[in-house]
Amino acid sequence: MVKYIAKRFGQIFILFYVFLALLFLLLDLQPGDISQQFVGNPNIPPEAKVIMVRQLGLDQPKIVQLGHHLWNYSFGMDMGVSWSSYPREVADILFTALPRTVFLFLTATVLSFWLGFYTGKLVAWRRGTVVEKSVMVTSIFFWTVFYPWFAILMLWFFASQLGWFPIGKFITVETWIGSPFSADSVFILMLTSIAAVTLVYGILRLVIDRSTDDPRSRQNLHRIALWSLIAVATVFWAFNSRRTYAMDILWHTVVPVLTLTLVNFAGTTLLTRSSMLETLREDYILTARAKGVPESTIRDRHAARNAMLPVTTSLVLQLAVVIAGGVITEQIFSWPGLGRALLGAITAEDIPVAMGALALIGVLSLLAHLVADITYAFLDPRIRVQG
Amino acid sequence: MADTLTPPTGELENFDPQRVVEEPLWRVRLRLGWRSFRRNWALFNDNKMGVVGLAIIALFGLMALAHPILMATIWSNHLEGGKNVYDIRAGADSIIVTKTIVEEVTDPLTEISQIEAMFLGTGVNIPEIGDTIESPLANPAPPVFSGVKHPHILGTDPFGGDVFSQLLFGARAAFLLGAIAAISSVALATLVGTISAYFGGVIDTLLMRLADLVILIPLLPLLIVVSGFWNVELTMLGILIGILSGLGGTAIILKSQALSVKVKPFIDAARIAGGGHWRIITRHIIPNVLPLSFLYMMFAVTGAIFTEAALSFLGLLNIQQSWGIMINIAHTQGYTLEGFDVWWLMFPAGLAITLFSAGFFLVGRAMDEVVNPRLRKR
Amino acid sequence: MAQTLEIESRGGKAGTPLLEVQNLVMHYGTKEGDVSAVEDVTFTLNNGEAIGLVGESGCGKTSIALTLLRLLPDNSVVKSGDVRLDGESLIGLDEEQMRRRRWRDISMVFQGAMNSWNPVYRIGDQIREALRLHWPETLTYQEETERIAALFELVGLNPATMERYPHEFSGGMRQRAVIAMALSCNPKVIIADEPTTALDVIVQDQILRELKKIQKELGMSIIYISHDIAVIAEVTERMGVMYAGKLVELGSTIEVFHRPKHPYSYLLLKSTPSITGPRRKLAPLEGEPPNLIEPPSGCRFHPRCPFATQQCIDEDPPLTTVGEGHSVACWHWQEVPEIGGLQK
Ligand SMILES: Nc1ncnc2c1ncn2[C@@H]1O[C@H](COP(=O)(O)OP(=O)(O)O)[C@@H](O)[C@H]1O
Ligand code: SF4
Ligand SMILES: [Mg+2]
Repeated sequence: MVKYIAKRFGQIFILFYVFLALLFLLLDLQPGDISQQFVGNPNIPPEAKVIMVRQLGLDQPKIVQLGHHLWNYSFGMDMGVSWSSYPREVADILFTALPRTVFLFLTATVLSFWLGFYTGKLVAWRRGTVVEKSVMVTSIFFWTVFYPWFAILMLWFFASQLGWFPIGKFITVETWIGSPFSADSVFILMLTSIAAVTLVYGILRLVIDRSTDDPRSRQNLHRIALWSLIAVATVFWAFNSRRTYAMDILWHTVVPVLTLTLVNFAGTTLLTRSSMLETLREDYILTARAKGVPESTIRDRHAARNAMLPVTTSLVLQLAVVIAGGVITEQIFSWPGLGRALLGAITAEDIPVAMGALALIGVLSLLAHLVADITYAFLDPRIRVQG
Repeated sequence: MADTLTPPTGELENFDPQRVVEEPLWRVRLRLGWRSFRRNWALFNDNKMGVVGLAIIALFGLMALAHPILMATIWSNHLEGGKNVYDIRAGADSIIVTKTIVEEVTDPLTEISQIEAMFLGTGVNIPEIGDTIESPLANPAPPVFSGVKHPHILGTDPFGGDVFSQLLFGARAAFLLGAIAAISSVALATLVGTISAYFGGVIDTLLMRLADLVILIPLLPLLIVVSGFWNVELTMLGILIGILSGLGGTAIILKSQALSVKVKPFIDAARIAGGGHWRIITRHIIPNVLPLSFLYMMFAVTGAIFTEAALSFLGLLNIQQSWGIMINIAHTQGYTLEGFDVWWLMFPAGLAITLFSAGFFLVGRAMDEVVNPRLRKR
Repeated sequence: MAQTLEIESRGGKAGTPLLEVQNLVMHYGTKEGDVSAVEDVTFTLNNGEAIGLVGESGCGKTSIALTLLRLLPDNSVVKSGDVRLDGESLIGLDEEQMRRRRWRDISMVFQGAMNSWNPVYRIGDQIREALRLHWPETLTYQEETERIAALFELVGLNPATMERYPHEFSGGMRQRAVIAMALSCNPKVIIADEPTTALDVIVQDQILRELKKIQKELGMSIIYISHDIAVIAEVTERMGVMYAGKLVELGSTIEVFHRPKHPYSYLLLKSTPSITGPRRKLAPLEGEPPNLIEPPSGCRFHPRCPFATQQCIDEDPPLTTVGEGHSVACWHWQEVPEIGGLQK
């Protein structure tokens, strides 16, 4: 297991550098000449240009430039200075945007995974019923619907027709006038509390699993742990002066997250269903039936548990959809994350920010793959326990 | 349980050695091909959704064919100011006026200035304050079927262009892009997959690591950057999507299929009979991988159409007209939140993209059940 | 406590009828038509007895086994007939009552038992699951572990390996563990469907010997199912020969093996190498098993039968008694010659 994870880590690490080198190639192949491009940029003062030339190694051979590029993007943590909003650093712009994007991706992915898995499991079990057919038609619709159009419709429906939610953006500016907190600090605190709950829950689960063998009491203790942690977090926020501001941010997240979730939910449902149908033909399902295992247990403990394996692998392939959906969501809902930074930079011909955003989105994708691999290893004893 | 498929019967009954000798090889091939086609069609036909998908694709095919025909016949002499009003982009029932830009108005939604939005992807330099621009003076008009000089059965876009004509033209663009992307993607994937499986070793490792890398690269963001650097038009986009998707997941899947073919006895037989590598790959392995390749072509079309439409929607492509551009225009011209009130602006294009993707997706799924027996009902 | 943990058979007095299958007819509905997979099958399994069902693959053996446990797929229909366990009809039970009887009363070793294990759970825990479902009194975790250890020892596995996952077991070990699981709830009947087909000959032989030993020691009642008549001959006392969904010959294993009265049994034996006797000339069985959607008229074996006459095409031969506990469904059973050069 440790060996497997270490190996994957190593592979991802190498892939990361190959990816960075590819970005360099892209930059080098582009029709313009990078040094000319920013020499001509009126926003940047001449002395800054000199620094940049040195930092990018533009006066040196290509291979040295590549070295500079790799170093700057990884250990240097320095992706240069924005051309369109000089003198802001690219890293500063992008790392402000990063948590918002991560939040969008994570909530949408986690929500759609659980909902989609649950639904897919149930409809595979009820193959041939009206419920299955209608769920299938709905899922295929959501999965093939042209996402930007769908997002616009959602925005129109929830924000304009019903007026329940704001028309895009991250915060309501009026609410925050005179606020003692910055939007980002509140948002980061929100993320931290979610992360804390998840982490502590994970640790508690491990402790519980170590302490008892009986699956029934395990399950009960897991539940107690989860709900008490959620209670603690709720109390924490209820008595926090950032409460109203946090609510404002939360209110802005609802429609974008819902939109992105719906589409991915459909994908997971379709995947889970086919995976379940294949699992249900396995011999061990027949064995479980012969053992007199109740049907609901066969479905959940035997079939769904195994169907989860290919779904986890395929999630990686679905990741491209989540990322594309994320960029479009950010654009349509004016959600100031990485995707919007990328699009804004392309419109403004701000090459450093565009490249930085692309690199960072690439890193997110790499990390997501790593997480999927590790999850898979945990789920599948054939990898967890070498035979 | 045991495989319950019974072998086809009745084929030996009218066996006539005389006839077989006389029949040329191509006829035999054709007959066998026809028979397996019929068998597979029966399986495909089992899945009604696949048939629905096929019907959808056929409908769009008719639409694509209809456009040039209509332009040459019914729509040929609806001229206004020297231009055909049904022309997909320039043709408009609008009056072109010259305006001077006095201030930058930013779209509250996208935060992109409206002027920028109008010129995005047109290849024209974005004008600044003080410049003069030619701007159409028009508003979207609701559908009119008859009684006027130029009936617009799906109304006009914000510039006065005929929506129906654009919709039909969009089908052509979609087929062209889908075909280019799907063929290049699957051709590449089949080649990479079979070569990787056949030769193994270093070649295999290199190609598969490359596939890993390609899977990791976020496609849409990359294409966004590429379209920022270069002027991407339809053919180029199709090939780009084809390469990027063909080297990734599809190559891996086709490789595993090729591997399962490679270990079959007839490959050994071909090798012993003195077949060269290339001959074995093209004559024996690829034909057996082809059904699966064909299946992935369907999914490649769906992916390509989505990517094109998304990039067009974002105003990043340099193409004449497409469904994505129709939505982009409605969006950037500020009709985003009017929903059903101006339904003809976004619904026809949005539905077209959705249905077109759905058609190929459904056909792909139904083919999956033919190619992959594990998915069948029993 | 130790008393309850004994591994035993819960059947009744040896020799009394335990499981009775009466005129069972079972079809599968398909788009092409009804598959007549089990046609008018009658046999009885007595307490403490091992019987066998043999026949080419596709003749309906597994279908019979699945009917006994009522595990048939959705497209199947039990047209008529009955299955009685200790006099009680299993066909009439509702699904929940039947579920409680599965494994507790009738357990099964599946065809391809290699894949009978759920890959994500430990072998021991999968046996534990059966115990939790069916053991009359709730056992503590420790008692469960002890029982599983005892079962492992009985089938020749190291009890420490119960902590392992299926992929860490070899084929033979998995098969032994399957047998341990089948014994776990002290069932009345065990059905072993091709229990050793997927294994290599040496392991196959070892496992068969052990199964036979366990069956004798515990007085277990077992139905063996195999396409391999040699396997059946090795482990059973009585056997039935099936052809195209029908039971065509039923009798003591020695009788059927040495003096088959049905042409099909005769040809089947001629086509099988003898594992114990001297070498003899093998005659391969010609032709294909029939399509069960439109089975041949009259005797289903007539297209392949060297003894067939017009009567065989027109009329279906009934099962008739031809000797002590030996019956055959054939019009011309008297014409079937002695099988040459075969002795035990
Ligand atoms: N689910 C099913 N639907 C239709 N036909 C089936 C099904 N399962 C088995 N059959 C058919 O029933 C017959 C008996 O099958 P089976 O009981 O598995 O035979 P055996 O175990 O003797 O090999 C075969 O002809 C098989 O094709
Ligand atoms: S009844 Fe006739 S056809 Fe059937 S086995 Fe006997 S001799 Fe052969
Ligand atoms: Mg069988």
